[in-house]
Amino acid sequence: MTRWNPSNDDVEAVSPDITDETNALPAKYFTDPNVHGLEKEKIFGRYWVYAGHANAITEPGAYFTRTIGDRQVIIVRDHDDEVRAFFNVCAHRGSKMVEDTPMTDPGNMGRIRCPYHMWSYDLDGDLESTPQSFEEAGLNPDLSDDDVCGMNASENSLSEVETDRIGPFVFLNFADDPTPLAEQAGTLKSELEAMPLGEYEHATRYVSEVDCNWKTFAGNYSECDHCHANHQDWITDIELTESELEVNDYHWILHYTHDEDVDDEMRIHDEHEAKFYYFWPNFTVNMYGTADGYGTYIIDPIDEGRFQLIADYYFSDEAMTDAEREFVQTSRQLQEEDFELVERQYEGLKSGALAQAQLGPNEHTVHRLHRLAQEAYEA
Amino acid sequence: MTQGSQQDAPFVAQCAATGATVTTSTANEVVAFYRRRQRLLDTDIEWVSAEHRAVSQAPESDDVAYVLRELDDDFERGVPLGILAAAMSKQGRTVGDTLADVYDLRMAGSLWEPRSDYLRPV
Ligand code: FES
Ligand SMILES: [Fe+2]
Repeated sequence: MTRWNPSNDDVEAVSPDITDETNALPAKYFTDPNVHGLEKEKIFGRYWVYAGHANAITEPGAYFTRTIGDRQVIIVRDHDDEVRAFFNVCAHRGSKMVEDTPMTDPGNMGRIRCPYHMWSYDLDGDLESTPQSFEEAGLNPDLSDDDVCGMNASENSLSEVETDRIGPFVFLNFADDPTPLAEQAGTLKSELEAMPLGEYEHATRYVSEVDCNWKTFAGNYSECDHCHANHQDWITDIELTESELEVNDYHWILHYTHDEDVDDEMRIHDEHEAKFYYFWPNFTVNMYGTADGYGTYIIDPIDEGRFQLIADYYFSDEAMTDAEREFVQTSRQLQEEDFELVERQYEGLKSGALAQAQLGPNEHTVHRLHRLAQEAYEA
Repeated sequence: MTQGSQQDAPFVAQCAATGATVTTSTANEVVAFYRRRQRLLDTDIEWVSAEHRAVSQAPESDDVAYVLRELDDDFERGVPLGILAAAMSKQGRTVGDTLADVYDLRMAGSLWEPRSDYLRPV
């Protein structure tokens, strides 16, 4: 029986059994501002979160920044060709150091310098130099210069953030002792790494602000029961009945078969299908069956009622062909159709009438998403 | 909605059915007004005046996509939907007309919203 508010608002945790009535995350987890705060720690502070593409920073000193919840991070390539990440926070008095720099317009710096009092750090994060005023005590009558011992470089380095990669995809983890990325990713890592993802160049990015909770969109991405009624242009070439949803621990894959097979050079992978990978918590890799390239989505919460969809497209060349442009436009059309659906769903959820939704038997990917969220809140 | 001098409130629009006017400081507030009226009365809103440099410089064309592309240079973070609607009023288009055109473009994947009600051409 449907759990409406307030007649039947005794919601329950997401049941591990999808045939149970309480198989969905209670509605308040989508609409409560406190949950948004909680997720910053329990989800985005704990799991591996996508930062950006390593091809954006190929030279030593090249960097971009990424904000995840309240955490601001610099992702930089050091002199040993390693991609490292540091909190964008100065060891002196905590100033933010470098300006927000998106991966699509990366910067380059010889050292990381804080503009406040000019402490500077090398690309390994070690304190490289402080201005004279930190080496002597000229302004302080209670101290002589000899009392000042200076700042030890490695003891005052920047706070480093754990990074790891799946092919060219750079991930961050803020936990104290994180589970290895390979463990969280499972077979996703080997499957993605078997493809030449690093050989493709970033061609274009679209960032859309959407009025719903990030998990509402995540759920929409994860199922195609809505496709027949809502993506009519797209499904004309797709065999929806032959599609398959594959669920793993922290990722799930939607396989779609195309009616008419496309030429091999049109695809990056060998299977004759499109594959959409969702990787918990908020990253997707979109392997299109009909384009020689791929896309990624970052589903970044802004608050409990808004998120940003950061859609990146990669092709063999930075400059897109006409066909690729057209392809991107089709993909944008799908996004807009989905935005419409999820904003409408969220209006309904926000109204507070429904206490807990119910998932159908073929919404097992959505069930996994809801289970993972529940697990994270309880941890 | 603000009452006040032309300076603070350069946007004036009126209900197509009743003639009731609204004066706002941003063009997007006219869109919000339109949506509230529309929901209750199913009436359209037409522009009376829009004093904004981008609007006066916008081309006179009934091609919304073209006007948006022209306006795009003036707005780094997206063209306010209300500014586009005001620019389209030069061709006698109501707020409702422009919103319908924008919807069609959006659903064709030809424009995107970096923020709600701020538009950029694809
Ligand atoms: S806070 Fe960075 S140098 Fe002072
Ligand atoms: Fe969809």
